Amino acid sequence: MEALLFNVSGGFLEGIVRGYKAGLLTQNQYNNLTQCETIEDFRTQLSATDYGNFLANEPLPISTSTISDKATQLLVDQFNYLRSNAVEPLSKFLEYMTYAYMIDNVILIITGTLHGRNTNELLQRCHPLGIFDTMPALCVATNVEELYHTVLVETPLAPYFRDSVTAADLDDLNIEIIRNTLYKAYLEDFDAFCQSLGGPTAEIMHRILAFEADRRAINITINSFGTQLSKEQRAKLFPTIGRLFPEGNNALARADDIEQVRQACEPVAEYRAFFDSSGPGAGRVNGGAGGGSESTANLLGDLGVSDEFGGGAADLEDRFFVHEVHLNKLAFLQQFQYAVFYSYIKLKEQEIRSLTWIAECIAQNARDRIHDFIPTF
Amino acid sequence: MGDEYPTLFRSEQMSLVQLIVPTEVAHDTIAELGELGNVQFKDLNPDVNPFQRSFVGEIRRIDEMARRVRFFASQVEKEKEPIPIRPLYDSAPLLTVGPRGAQTIDELDVKLAEHEARLTQMNESYQLLSERLRELVEARHVLRETAVFFEQAAVRETETRTSLDDSAPLLQHDDREQQFSSGELQFDLEFVAGTIDRARLSTFERVLWRVLRGNLYMNYIDIQEPFVDPATGAETRKNVFIIFAHGDILLSKIRKIAESMGATIYPIDVNADKRADSMREVTGRLEDLQIVLYNTGANRRAELMTIGENLASWQDVVAKEKLIYETLNLLNYDVRRKTLIAEGWCPTRDIPQIQLALRHATEESGTNVPPILHELRTNRTPPTFHRTNKFTEGFQTIMDAYGVATYQEVNPGLFAVITFPFLFAVMFGDIGHGFIITIAAALMILFERKLGKADLGEIIGTFFFGRYIILLMGFFSIYTGFLYNDIFSKSLHLFHSGWDFREDYFNGTVGVSNGHTYPFGLDPAWHGAENGLLFTNSYKMKMSIVLGVIHMTFAVCLQVPNHIRFRRFSDIYTNFIPQMIFLQSIFGYLVICIIYKWTIDWSKAPTQPPSLLNMLISMVLSPGSVDPESQLYPGQSTVQVILLLLAGICVPWLLVTKPYLEWQEMKKIQGQGYIGLGADDAPRHTDDTMLEGEEEGNGRAIVEANDEEHEQHDFSEVVVHQVIHTIEFCLGCVSHTASYLRLWALSLAHAQLSEVLWDMTIANVLGMSGLIGIIALLLVGAMWLVLTIAILCVMEGLSAFLHALRLHWVEANSKHYEAGGYQFVPLSFARLNEKQ
Repeated sequence: MEALLFNVSGGFLEGIVRGYKAGLLTQNQYNNLTQCETIEDFRTQLSATDYGNFLANEPLPISTSTISDKATQLLVDQFNYLRSNAVEPLSKFLEYMTYAYMIDNVILIITGTLHGRNTNELLQRCHPLGIFDTMPALCVATNVEELYHTVLVETPLAPYFRDSVTAADLDDLNIEIIRNTLYKAYLEDFDAFCQSLGGPTAEIMHRILAFEADRRAINITINSFGTQLSKEQRAKLFPTIGRLFPEGNNALARADDIEQVRQACEPVAEYRAFFDSSGPGAGRVNGGAGGGSESTANLLGDLGVSDEFGGGAADLEDRFFVHEVHLNKLAFLQQFQYAVFYSYIKLKEQEIRSLTWIAECIAQNARDRIHDFIPTF
Repeated sequence: MGDEYPTLFRSEQMSLVQLIVPTEVAHDTIAELGELGNVQFKDLNPDVNPFQRSFVGEIRRIDEMARRVRFFASQVEKEKEPIPIRPLYDSAPLLTVGPRGAQTIDELDVKLAEHEARLTQMNESYQLLSERLRELVEARHVLRETAVFFEQAAVRETETRTSLDDSAPLLQHDDREQQFSSGELQFDLEFVAGTIDRARLSTFERVLWRVLRGNLYMNYIDIQEPFVDPATGAETRKNVFIIFAHGDILLSKIRKIAESMGATIYPIDVNADKRADSMREVTGRLEDLQIVLYNTGANRRAELMTIGENLASWQDVVAKEKLIYETLNLLNYDVRRKTLIAEGWCPTRDIPQIQLALRHATEESGTNVPPILHELRTNRTPPTFHRTNKFTEGFQTIMDAYGVATYQEVNPGLFAVITFPFLFAVMFGDIGHGFIITIAAALMILFERKLGKADLGEIIGTFFFGRYIILLMGFFSIYTGFLYNDIFSKSLHLFHSGWDFREDYFNGTVGVSNGHTYPFGLDPAWHGAENGLLFTNSYKMKMSIVLGVIHMTFAVCLQVPNHIRFRRFSDIYTNFIPQMIFLQSIFGYLVICIIYKWTIDWSKAPTQPPSLLNMLISMVLSPGSVDPESQLYPGQSTVQVILLLLAGICVPWLLVTKPYLEWQEMKKIQGQGYIGLGADDAPRHTDDTMLEGEEEGNGRAIVEANDEEHEQHDFSEVVVHQVIHTIEFCLGCVSHTASYLRLWALSLAHAQLSEVLWDMTIANVLGMSGLIGIIALLLVGAMWLVLTIAILCVMEGLSAFLHALRLHWVEANSKHYEAGGYQFVPLSFARLNEKQ
């Protein structure tokens, strides 16, 4: 059926997104990039790719954050192009994708305000895909109730918030609970939406979202060791769409150390490999993530950017990324479905992370670790 | 070898040359060769990353300079009043060659950096000042609007006071109390005033409402004039808002939200006098600032003017330098010997010229070590280079668009110069329309210098590029127009017609031959005759077949010079001769029959004129039997059987002989005890190159082994190729002949369309008399002229052009054109300008 009617409204954009995908950097180009001596070389090398002359008008010297910003801007432009050309249900699908960024932005701003950061500075750090009108007003909220009633009530995030968050003061722990509850509700809702679309979209998106859910569950578990978070509370934060659900989730809820987490993941063959030698590495997820630019916001750990990690290539988080990239690549094997849009954005994000990592290594002259990025294609 | 006079018949003879250039003169040599535009350089370091090549540093520096120049250009462009940029031909040349070349570049670099720094600084201060100005203007607006608001409030206040309304709200009651006590208008409500982007206003209001739970009174007024951002030129529209609320906490919340929403808050005093004071102050500061801003703007403009003086030459120099260094990166750099080795293709005839340029470069740079040039022997196929001029360029481009000719192949572009406009004209035959496009083309040619410099845009530019094609198309259209005797769908009565018209009682008007023959073209008597269309149709249809067969025969003949040049003599009798016989025995015979049928006066013949189409069909379907009713000439059946047999023999001939010869050749070689060495060839090859790289250029190219793929001459491949070729040719002959009927169809459509246009417009008003008749004629005539140009000349012309193109590409080129070459792309500064 999809083959018959998909192209009526989705064919053009699928073509576009597959074209974009063809522009992702290849292994060969990554190899060339890692050989660069300076950031200028890096720029010259990138200008031969689909990035083109996106840095040509930047005065020297170029900072890594400029590269990352400009690259993200390209991604955002592409996404907005797709979005403005999309019709239902694809437009809804794309909108769902932005909710994740909105959640991150909301959390970023309230945490930042809690710690007395400047609002404008915080706004600039927000991901452009997750920006909504009333976002700046977030900074006046002092408790959860107010947060909901002043700002979030008119955002698409409101339904996630309404049911799940009880009134409480905003503190680091609560913010993290809010974040994870929102994310749980979001993932479940997104999955339900994808299931309603049916066909290959439902199938592939479920695979990707299920992994995302499990990853969050595992991260929450590992990062909550030794914090005040009770086990009941923890169990409530686990998304219920993952492959670990329900036995694995129950086991995770009861887990006290990394060994028990490993056992909980045992039934799923793919996840077993994550823990093969990551015993020592997993501890670093906890420690390393806290040192990132989002400061204490990462108490419970989140999608920390890979270059903020202290660990080596064998990191648990890195393995998650590798698996995510793998799943996203698989999405391109099937036609007539929307998962390619999701996967493309995720892959491009991964590519930008890798680029930033390489640029950072070049700038800081840490050539021995330059190969620790996660290649996409 | 290179003494052959250059023609378009074959592509230019090329030589692979090696240049050994001392490092000191390398830059100047490349610059000189770039001016000359005769050498295509090969990449001698294909394995080296772009940023690991020798001249990356220079390129990076040039890139930085290019960025600055681009920055200047964008700044100049952004300026509202245009800044004159002195054109390149008017500016003093910047000499970047010779002993002082490097210094010039250094100076230019410094100069650009200085200009950039100055301009950025000016931009910054200008922006800063504009920002301050904007704030002041906003403050003035806020002051003015709040004043208006307060005044209105005061009026309303007095009104409420005088009207003895009991239902006045409690709050106002309090107010009144206080006002009574203080004796003048006074507010105890505190407020926040400021400006905000109009797009955000509604969100702002909504959020405030929700945060303060409705405990606020908000008023806002549009600011009429937009604010222009000096850096980007974007316009923003803003609103003044004033919010009343009660209590410090609420006010601080409002301030916080306002700030986070990007609003600017201005401290406004409640006291009217103080407001007037600050208004005066703001106005005073505004005036000062405007003066400063004006001066800064004038300075900036002056700076941009000086930049505009030199911008064109800077752009030119930077682009050239970049090209030079990119070319230098292609060369093989030998650190030890301080020389660069270049390899590339150049036309053999131009070698003396290149040598002269090299010597000139040496003299210029003031050294006495000249670059050395010598020719290399190679078995690689050289690029194809047709030396064109502005006349032939367009025609050659048409053929290159189909495919670039194989090196030294017969070039169909030469013949297209005549055949293309001719075939076009057969479809477009009309004296009037031909005249219009001739005039258009002639005008373009007359003003070609002026038009060539101007930027014409893509569509007009395309027409301008093809101006000589259009000119010839126009001439030929006039010629065929005379043949068809068609001028804007009317006919010319130049000579005495061969027909008289007499009233006949039974048949109406009947034409009777009066013994004359119309000397040239179609007799005008046919125009308007009842069977005129029948006649022109039959005439044009047959003519298209005749022209088509001639064109195809010619195309087949063009194989012969190719076979001779490439020493494939066997191909003459394995390919050319059978193809020729096949084509002539069926379609050549048809042409002869057509002409023969024309020569017979059928009104006096005993039989009815036979249908040639049926004749051709029955010739193939029922050979040997001809219906005596439709016999064209005696002995027809015998002739046809012989011709059919000839064509039948040609098919297996074409199919078998070439593979057989190939097979025989192979057997002969095997019989002598040789075996093909395809795989073992490669390693020996690389050894050679390595060795000879050391020995340095004793006649072998450096990158020879890298990319010469040896085609496997497999026997089965030859067979398959020949089978396809045979089938294609035999079927092609039939379908291509039919395809030439488009000449008739298009010509018919053109004639009919122009007739319809005439009948629908001018023919209606031509009979009217008096003033109305003249006005109507003028109006309708104008309409007719516009439609004639738009529909008949442009649209129909494009369609005829397209069909002529197809006839050349498909019907003619498939008979002989291999088109397996690659274009010669020399390093040339002239091309660089073209690209921009």
